[in-house]
Order: sequence, then C-alpha cells, then structure tokens
Amino acid sequence: MNPVVERIETALKSAEASLTSAESAAQVEEVRISMLGRKGLFATLTKDMGSATPEERREIGRAFNEGKQRLQDLLAQAEERIKGSGSGEKALDVTLPGRCGAMGHRHPITQMIEDCVAIFRRMGFIVADGPEIETVRHNFDALNAAADHPSREMTDTFYFADGRLLRSQTSTVQIRTMDAVKPPIRIVAPGRCFRRDTPDATHSMNFHQIEGLYVDKNVSMADLKSVLQIFAWELFGKDVRIRLRPHFFPFTEPSVEYDFSCVVCGGKGCNVCKHSGWLEIAGAGMVNPNVFRNVGIDPEEWSGYAFGMGIERLTMLRHRISDIRNLYENDVRFLSQFN
Amino acid sequence: MLISYNFLADYVDLSGISLTELCDKLTQAGIEVEAVTPLNVIPDGVVVAEIRKRDKHPNADKLSVCTVFDGEKELQIVCGAPNCDAGKKVPLATLGTKFPDGDGVFEIKKAKLRGVESFGMMCSARELGLSENHDGLLELPADTAVGTPVKELYKPDYRIEVEVTPNHPDWLSVWGIARDVSCLFSSPAKLPEFTYPAAKTKIDLPDNLVTVEAPDICTRYIGQVIRNVKIGESPEWLKRRLISVGLRPINNVVDVTNFVMMELGQPLHAFDYETIAEGRIVVRRAHSGEKMELLNGVTVELTEKNLVICDAEKPRALAGIMGGSQSGISDCTTMVLLESAVFNASNIRASSRQLGVSSDSSYRYERGIDFNMAEIAARRAAQLICDLAGGEVVSDFFDVQGEKPAEVRVKCNFDHIRKAIGGYVANEEMVDIFHRLQMTTEDMSSEGCTVIPPSFRPDILCEADLVEEVARIRGLDAIPVIPVNAKIVNSISDDARILDSELRDQVIGLGLFECMNYSMVSVKSALSDTRFKEADLVKILNPMSLELAWMRPSLWGEMLASVERNISRRNLDLALFEQGRVFCANGELYPEERQELCIMLTGRRGSELYDSGNYDFYDLKGMIENLLNKRKVLNYEFVAADDGRFERGRCAALLVDGKVIGHLGEVASAVTASWRTSAPLFGATIEVAGLMAAKTAGMAVESVSLYPATNRDVAFIAPDELTHADIVKFIEKLKLPNFEAVRLFDVFADEKVLGAGKKSMAYRVVFRNRERTLKDEEVNTAFEKMRKRLAADLNVVLR
Repeated sequence: MNPVVERIETALKSAEASLTSAESAAQVEEVRISMLGRKGLFATLTKDMGSATPEERREIGRAFNEGKQRLQDLLAQAEERIKGSGSGEKALDVTLPGRCGAMGHRHPITQMIEDCVAIFRRMGFIVADGPEIETVRHNFDALNAAADHPSREMTDTFYFADGRLLRSQTSTVQIRTMDAVKPPIRIVAPGRCFRRDTPDATHSMNFHQIEGLYVDKNVSMADLKSVLQIFAWELFGKDVRIRLRPHFFPFTEPSVEYDFSCVVCGGKGCNVCKHSGWLEIAGAGMVNPNVFRNVGIDPEEWSGYAFGMGIERLTMLRHRISDIRNLYENDVRFLSQFN
Repeated sequence: MLISYNFLADYVDLSGISLTELCDKLTQAGIEVEAVTPLNVIPDGVVVAEIRKRDKHPNADKLSVCTVFDGEKELQIVCGAPNCDAGKKVPLATLGTKFPDGDGVFEIKKAKLRGVESFGMMCSARELGLSENHDGLLELPADTAVGTPVKELYKPDYRIEVEVTPNHPDWLSVWGIARDVSCLFSSPAKLPEFTYPAAKTKIDLPDNLVTVEAPDICTRYIGQVIRNVKIGESPEWLKRRLISVGLRPINNVVDVTNFVMMELGQPLHAFDYETIAEGRIVVRRAHSGEKMELLNGVTVELTEKNLVICDAEKPRALAGIMGGSQSGISDCTTMVLLESAVFNASNIRASSRQLGVSSDSSYRYERGIDFNMAEIAARRAAQLICDLAGGEVVSDFFDVQGEKPAEVRVKCNFDHIRKAIGGYVANEEMVDIFHRLQMTTEDMSSEGCTVIPPSFRPDILCEADLVEEVARIRGLDAIPVIPVNAKIVNSISDDARILDSELRDQVIGLGLFECMNYSMVSVKSALSDTRFKEADLVKILNPMSLELAWMRPSLWGEMLASVERNISRRNLDLALFEQGRVFCANGELYPEERQELCIMLTGRRGSELYDSGNYDFYDLKGMIENLLNKRKVLNYEFVAADDGRFERGRCAALLVDGKVIGHLGEVASAVTASWRTSAPLFGATIEVAGLMAAKTAGMAVESVSLYPATNRDVAFIAPDELTHADIVKFIEKLKLPNFEAVRLFDVFADEKVLGAGKKSMAYRVVFRNRERTLKDEEVNTAFEKMRKRLAADLNVVLR
C-alpha cells in the first residue's frame, strides 16, 4: 500500500476513535482542526501531492477524497450525537413558565364601544360627545318628548336640585350636535346614561348607549337599514340578518325597532332569543320633523335618520354574559377573560 | 295587551291564515307579538263522568270517596273537592292521563289516599287550565254525554300577547287589531250585527240625568238606564272570551262592560242606578281635599285636577280610572246606569299617576278614545245586557257632547314618501293602503293628495306619519338594502375622543386591567378622596338609595372598593385602572365634568409565584413614567408631596410643565388596615386633561451617532436628604464636554456600614461625540472635573 494512503487510513482510524468517545463539541472541534484545519492532515497531504507520480496521484487522490468524505461523515455523526449537551449544560425544562410582560385587559364594555365606533367610523361617522349632566331641553323637550311623557317623571330619571338631570339617553348628543353645526351631519355618540331602573340581571341604572345620527338631503329608510345591516355583519358576522319592526319613539317618525337574527342559535330558536330566532337590539327611525324644527333645521330641506342601542346588551350577547352586574364588579377573574 | 285567536276570528276572516303567519305579519306591522300561549289544551284521557255516590272518607274529614261512572264502568275515586256531590257531571282524568308539569309530565296513577284506593282524579277548572277557578270541581252541563272526551267540549284557542306602542290607541281592542289584520291580509272584517233594543217603555227620569260641568276634559258622556236586570253568571261563551284575554268573569253586567271594552276598546262603567242620589250624574272636577273610597278599597284624596263622576251628592267614580266602592253592581242590582264616555287623555294619565291607581280603563283613556266609538259601544253593551241579563232599556240616549275633535287633513306628496322610504312605490299602491286603513283621500293628482284619517287614528298628523303607514303595511322587509353612502362629513372633529381611547390603550399596554364602576357613589366613597369636601359633591335629588346619591368626584373611592372586593374574594395580586368621567360642584377646584385616570397596584408583580416580588412605589412610578414617555411628554417631574390619601413620606405629586396633574403613592394604612392582605396598596390619580395638554416632542427624530460611547463610573456616600433628582440635575448642569447621559446603577443604605442618615450611590456617566471616537484623556479630564465638583459642592464622600 502506498505510504500516503496508509497515513490517511491510520489517521482516520485514530480520528474515528476520538470522535466515538468525544463528549463535547470542543473535542469534536479538536479532531476537525487536526484533520481539516489549516495545518491539518489533509492540508499537509495536499502540499505533498506534488512529488507523487501521476499513477500514485490517482490512487492517493481517490483515498484522499474518500477519506475526507468519511471524516466528514464521522464528524457529522459525532456532532449529531453530542448535540444538546454540547454546551455541557443540562437540557431546559421548556415547560417552566415563560417570563412574559404583564398583560393588560380592556373592559368588555370599552371593547364593545371601540368596536362599534370603529365600524361606524369606517362608514364615515364621526364621534361626538356631550355632558352626562344635562338639561331637560337636551334630554326631552328638543327631542319631542310629550310634556307628560312618563320617562320625565322623578321615578324614571335622576334629577338635580337646579332642575338639570342625568341624561337618560345618548340622544342628547343629537341635539348638542345639531345645535352646534349645520348639516350635513354624520355622527355616532357612545356614552354613559342613567335611568332609575331597579337593578336586576338585565337592568342597570348606570349603562352605556351608542347613538347614531345622519342628517343630509334625501336620507331614506333604505339608508338606515343598510347601515344597520352592515353594522350587524361587521359585529357578529356575515350570517346575521336584520329585521325592522315599526315602533314608536317621540324623536323619530317613522320609528322602528331592529332585531338581529339570534347570534347564539343562528335563528333556529334558543333560550337567549326566547325561541323566537330574533334578538331585539334597539330603536331607530327617521328624525321627526319636530326635532328638526326644535334645533332650527328646515325639515323641508333636510332629512335624516337616528339610531341608538345599548352597549351592555351587545356586550352580554357577544360574550354570553347572563347578568349585567358582572360587568360592574371588576373581579379580575372575570376581567382577565377579555383582552 | 292580550287578545285571542278565536276572539279575533269573530271579526275578521282568518281562514287560510296560520297562527305563525298572523303573528309574523302583526309584528311586521308594528303590533309586536310578544308571546303566544295555547289555551284549552285538555289532555287525552280526561272524560265527562257522572258522580253516582259520595261517601265520607273513613280516615279524613276533608276527603270523600266517590263512585264515579266514566261511561263504561264505575270507579272509586277519592276526592277533596267540596262539591263532589252525587248526580253531578264533572271532568275525570282516568288512569294514564298525562298532564304537562313544568318541562315534564305528571301522570295519573292508581293511588292510595289515607288508606283508600283511588282510580283517577276529578278536576277543577284550574287543573284543566281552563280558568283560575280552583274552588271545586268543574261542573259540566247536566246534558253532557258521559264518556265524552272533555277536550271536545272546549275549542282550542291561543292567547296572543301584543305590545301596543303608546301612539296606537286604535289597537287596544280586538276589533282594532281585526281592522289591521283585514288591511294586512286583504281579508274582510266586520263588527257583529246587532239590533239596539231601543226603549219601548220610558220611565220617568230627570231631564238633567247627565250634566257635564267640565266639558274641556269630558268631551262626551252617554248615559242610559236599563231596568229589570237579573244579576247572575255569564254564559259559558262570554266567560271563555274574558278568560282568553286574561280577565276574570264576575257577573253578567260587569262581564258585558269588560267584554265590550275588549271588543271595541271603549271602557264602560255600570252604576247601580238605585244608589245614585236624585238619579242624576254630574261630571265635574273634584273639590280640593275631597275623599273617596275606590273599588279596590283604597281611599284617595282628590284635587281639582281630578275628574269625578258624581251623583247629586258626592263622587261615585274616579272618571275613566275606577269606580267608587259603593257605586258598583251588586247581586241585588236591578237597575243599571250605563256610562260610555270620552275623557281627556292627559287628564286621566295625570290623575292615574298622581293617585297611583290604574286599570284597564285608565290604560285606554290615557292613550285616547275614539269619539265615535263611544256611541257604538253604548248600544252594543245595552244589547248584550238585555240579551244576557234580561234587562230592558227604559231611557233615551243621554248623550252630552262637547267639542268634537277637529278633522285632520294631511297633505301627501307621493315623491316625498318614496324618497323617505328609499324605494319605488306606485302612487296607486299608496292610495290603496290609505283606503284599506279607512282613510279618505281628496284632491287627488299625480303628485299627491289630501289624506283624512279616521277618528280612531289620532297618531296621523303629518306626512311622516303617512310614510310610516305605507312602510309598515308594505312590510319593512320590502325596504331595500342599498350601498352605504359613507361620505365624509367633517362638521365636527372627534380628536378628543380618539386621544382618550389612545390613552386607555396605552394604560392597558402597561399591563393593567380596566375596571368600570358606577358614576353614583355613597358620600363615604366620595369623601374617601380627601381632596373633596361634601360641598364639592354633586348630589342627586332623587337617588335610588343613599348609597348611590352622589356623583363620584373622583375614581378613587370605587377603585378602593374594587380592590377590596377582589381581596375579599382572595384575588390578591391586582393591577387595576379606571379611566372615566368624574364630577365636581366646586368650579374653583375642577370643572363640573372631567376625565380622570386612577391606577391601583397591590400584591405580586407577576402571576407566577416563583419569580416575582411584590409591587412597590417604583413599579407604580415606572408605569406612569412609561406612560409619559409613550406620550412623548417633554417636561415632567415627580416631587415628594403630602396628601391625605397616602402614607406620609410615601407620596409624590406628578408635575407636567410645572403644573400638578396627579398624585401617586402608598395608600394610607388607615384605609387598608382591615383588609385581608398584608401587601401594601399603591394608588395614583391623574387628570386626563393635564396629560392631553402636556407639551410633547414632535414627530421629527434625531439621527444616531456612529461613534462608540465611553463610560465612567462614580460611587459616593451621600446624606439621605440628597435626592437622585438633585444629583442628576447637578451633573447635567455641569455641561461636561461630550456628556451624553448619567444613569444610576446602585443605591444602598446600611447603618452599620455607612452610618445613620447616609446612603451609597453609584452612577454611570456616558460620554460620546457625534463626529469622532473620544480619546481616553479627554474623557478622563471631564470625569475628574465632575468628581471634584461632586465632592466640593454636594458634600459627598467619593469612594
């Protein structure tokens, strides 16, 4: 056997022995350097090749290539074998808790308000606001509520000694806005409202509404229905159908109530929708000409629609919350379910 | 309001209309069906049986042992009813009969009652769901064939509960609903035909039988006298009709007045004419202080606002609301004065509310009565009383009329209606709808017409009301869904709202849980924020309770309550905030309404037990610093402060642009002492307006230096009074060449090592030049200068 070939064989044998017994990446690296490094065996051999005959060269060349290939396989095997314990450290318990930054949680009511606002902003509505301590004019008179409307009673609405009141509806913002600016007007107004309701699973004297108002030329019931349909789709998904029913409110004429097909059962009938397939969501209608007159807008020139709905109701439907009081207890086990 | 399917079918042809279809159409037309209850559902197995023998139960006084024949065989039945007498025909639930019982069923089985076997159950009307009567067994007519299934004796019916909106008094009767059903289904509707039994004999009655002294609030009063009335039970059909709409049968005359009210919507009142002093009625306003006892036993004190129906002496009825205790029909009444009147809606509403008395009658009067229906109803009731109670009309119609309601004429432009609906509706279709609703039209042209609504539609006043009629009769489903016209209308700006919501998200980003509390609080909760005195609070005039009588002056009190509630539920690790509106009555302190932010921290920093310590002051401060930095607030500082809400020496004021906009610190132990936790509580309140007004860095940014920084560390022992802020300010003020930043990296105090009142502090000072790498020598020069100045000017001992 050619002595060079013999050298390769011997070196490979010894390298194999070292690699089989190697316990760390460092030991493997040592072998790699001694064989493949700048001063390693194969580098030296390459230099020595020059003195060989062409015949020898062919033989050596084959042994050289095969040997190098074999060495690389051995190195790979060894690396594979000791991978993981390579740093000499123990493997991690990857199931230990991660070190995560604290996670905050939005209140579900805020979340619903933000979602509603986002949907309506996409449809060109701007957010308007108004005070919670309001005048009788903004809450009732200008909204065309009859002088002896029951909701004006001390039994229904909270009053202050100076004759003002806690707004019982966000419709006050309709009046505030129409007082302040000329049409066209396209607003939504989320906010807190107050009514003297005895608290139970579905009533809270402190609650939230979102109001919408669009005043322009030639606004129609079809415009109203279409906006509400898109709102329903965006909030609860494309399968939700809406239904309008005639109703009565002092500030709109015609007035409607609108229902969503039940978001729980899809309209088949369940406990949530009382087996009707429909969920009563809220009220809406075309702005009553008297309301326009009360804020100095000419009902012959302008028309509009308004709608309003209860945020708590939507929140409870979305999260299947059965008791409204859960929303005001601030138990962190409850709050942590929202983000 | 309750109606029933069979009742309705008497006035409008419902053949071919399913119950579901009927309910859907009614709901679509604005008469919302809220519930449908099947009536007269009598289980299979209940048969007509004859009681043949009644014996006393050997072991129980109240029970009887009856022998009952069910048409095939005699059975022994133990019965507790008082009226299980031999010879009577009664319903018998035979063995195996299944009654609905909640969600399940209740099956009649052979049973032993006090030692005696019983093979079935004889039933009361209530047990069969026929009425509320449970005084004894339901007695069936003597000619009923024994063995007949009882369900064949009662026609199945449905009670339909509808919600009637306050603008539709025309729907407060079965006839009124029938009118709309007729319009919706184009099915004929008609009132039952009857002949008014006009007086053949007239008795001597006062000419002034009816005097109306308040014609402004009593626009029509019809009185008629019927004699020879025999008070008794109503016939079965009438009782069933009343029961089907939720009314309790009383006697034939009262039942007729109730029936006609349900049928036609006109409340009626029957007086025992013989009790009416001088036989005449005076309709007048009550005298102030006048008292009367009502049918329900309640005595009310009246004012001049209340309308009363009097005889020659005193009030006998509270007009339109309730009769007096002595005026009503008794078993010995033979002469009836029948009242059919029209009273002012607002007056009745006000009286009913003021006196706290309401009735089916006031419910209808409050919403408005059809002037013309009063007369039809008066005739109808007289006819029924004569037919069913053997009466005889012996007077003319005493019909005192005030001013008739003015005819309403509404201009209708067909294009306006089409535009408001937003879809095409042919002129002819609109006109047809008006006519089907019994409106008349005049001045017809291709552009429009004048519409005259019938007297029972007080809600039709303007064109918008006609839009509603066209829309609702066509069905709102017919309104098309069209592309949304999402045009931008920049009449107002919503920046403030967006900033508010952005701030909330930033706070949530700090890892805090958002809370929501009521705006109304107790005075104790309100004043737990010691910034406020009682005079600063906004007080509600008519609160639900004293616990909820004040508008919150800050979020502090209820956030403390939220923390306490969580702790009492053993949720001990809390990082909470609320951002909301608060109220102040003292304009010198704060505006009436403002936004506040309140943060509370207690317990462990992380949810894991193994890797986190308890929150402390610097966690809270760090959060607020983060928030300020996130908002790019330029000038802020924290200054030691004294505030009643916090432990002394553990509170800071937050200053932005030199103004105090909030406080933070460790909550006073007096507040938290009784709580079931030993962890301290840290709280902060911040004025949102102050944050919003803060000067902030602009959007433009600086490029970064490409050259490395050189750090030098300095440590020294300083007196406790020397604050970190003092040191940083001092170093910054030196304006060292190439100075970039100074950072604290260690602070400790140990009396044994350093002595009392001393602390050790260590800072890293960073030097950098934007154009070149710094040489050691120049950094050293600057650093040495700083060390000397520290030792000399701040009186610290360098280490």
